[in-house]
Amino acid sequence: MLGARLLPWDYGVRNLFRRPSRTTLTLGGMTIVVLLVLVVVGFIRGLERSLSATGSPDVVLVYALSSGADIENSSIPGSTASLLTASVEGVRSHHGVEAVSPELYLATRINAAGMAEPGMGLVRGVTTAAPLVRGQVQLVEGAWPGPGEVMVGRLAYSKIGARQEDLSIGQALSFDGADWTISGRFAAAGSAFESEVWAPLADLQTTLKRQDLSLVAVDMDSPGRVADVDLFCRERVDLELKAVAEADYYASLQKHYRPVRLLGWIVVALVAGSGVFAGLNTMYGAVVGRVRELATLQALGFRRRAILLTLVQEATLLACAGAILACLVGLLVVDGAAVRFTMGAFALRVDSVGIAIACGVAALLGVLGALPPAAKAMRLPVVEAIKSV
Amino acid sequence: MRRLNTAMTGAIAAGFAVLIGCGAPQAGAPLAGADADGSAYLLAEEPDGAMGVIQAREAAHDGDPIVLVGRIGGATNPWVEGRAAFTLLDPSMLVVDESQGMGEGQLCTGDCCATERQACTTLVKVVDPQGQLVAVDARKLLGLKEADMVVVSGTAKKDELGNFQLLATGVHVRR
Repeated sequence: MLGARLLPWDYGVRNLFRRPSRTTLTLGGMTIVVLLVLVVVGFIRGLERSLSATGSPDVVLVYALSSGADIENSSIPGSTASLLTASVEGVRSHHGVEAVSPELYLATRINAAGMAEPGMGLVRGVTTAAPLVRGQVQLVEGAWPGPGEVMVGRLAYSKIGARQEDLSIGQALSFDGADWTISGRFAAAGSAFESEVWAPLADLQTTLKRQDLSLVAVDMDSPGRVADVDLFCRERVDLELKAVAEADYYASLQKHYRPVRLLGWIVVALVAGSGVFAGLNTMYGAVVGRVRELATLQALGFRRRAILLTLVQEATLLACAGAILACLVGLLVVDGAAVRFTMGAFALRVDSVGIAIACGVAALLGVLGALPPAAKAMRLPVVEAIKSV
Repeated sequence: MRRLNTAMTGAIAAGFAVLIGCGAPQAGAPLAGADADGSAYLLAEEPDGAMGVIQAREAAHDGDPIVLVGRIGGATNPWVEGRAAFTLLDPSMLVVDESQGMGEGQLCTGDCCATERQACTTLVKVVDPQGQLVAVDARKLLGLKEADMVVVSGTAKKDELGNFQLLATGVHVRR
């Protein structure tokens, strides 16, 4: 029975096309609000993903006890990798090669062709064992670096402040007084490795005149085995090593970025709030201009509740269309855009969570934006409303 | 017009469904737990002849049966996850906050006290009758907590490089 008293669904939809300029402006405003929400959520999700994708639960990092929580400050003997292989059971093996990666890790100034001045970048000296431990690393273009060569992560250009084409294969990079040729480009499933430059360990040691390592990354055959490496480091106190599960290491880094993430969510709330107010303003204007039409509908016998529902329907349809437009722009333009931060670079991520939040905000804009002005218009007596200009 | 409107509404709904369904599912694997009888390692009576970690580091030889007394601690994380092993601190030492000045008998868990910590702490590994480390977390196996004062009996393991640990066969908790 209630359905019989409602205005036809088409009525609300047709109304949107009846005032094309107002509809377009409102749609544009809502799209921008939802897009802003999507960008901020994409920032938070990208940052979270970058840190969580970097840590593997089976991989344990062994580095100097005295380095605090910073691997860059770590210096351990070059023999640590072979010592670990010989002393700890449960190291994963791939076709007879143990997944133990000795690495030298440093932040240094890197210059690329086309850069006016060098930018701060991250360099990791690795051996061919590195991909055995860092399973997410995939060479997407070119070849593994030989002597005097490096391979660059997908987002390394963003970290050092260069253009993407400056770090293409065959281009030159210079850091720490040596020139390097880019031999390949790699992706690493959105992890922090993507913002790094990887060089052959021996070459990097020669360039830096260092024989030590920063860390050894060991891939154990199960997460439970990580404790055995920890146990080894505690037994051999003379080596002054410590072992931290890679997942725990990056989880601890996530704590440092908690205020940034919190700030991001506050921005989402503020943008959504301002969007609701903007929507309210637009809808007040839209409803005020239709007071006579709404009163006529009442005079024809439609109940106030039904007219209110139509106004909410119009606003919600508009907001949902805005959400879809914003999501499409987000997926096509925002998703994957590189952002530089202290630990490297990460890509903005428009994923299901971001889209769900953006669509939720849009629905909120539609319903909350339409209710108060519609309720106000419905309060006017019919005779007075029909006479209004 | 009705068909156009229905199509438009349907497109919006489908758009939402497609956009929200873009993410990949998250996978997680449960961890298996091990069952072991901790009562076999817990001592009701305190063993005699207990000495502190500092004294034991000096006096004990590799393979000596010894009884150690100390407090669980002396490290940021004194536990080895999933293993019946923990760091024991000499009872004469106190762990204080890194920001405070260190007095006599005090140390912190920061880098500044690394050498002092090495001299007054040891690793205790609870081993089964075959001498194998029990692969159950000490907190779960023995109900131990950080800062518990414990008396541990077992065998000293020491090498010429200064590494010292205790292979424990019995643990008594002072309440």
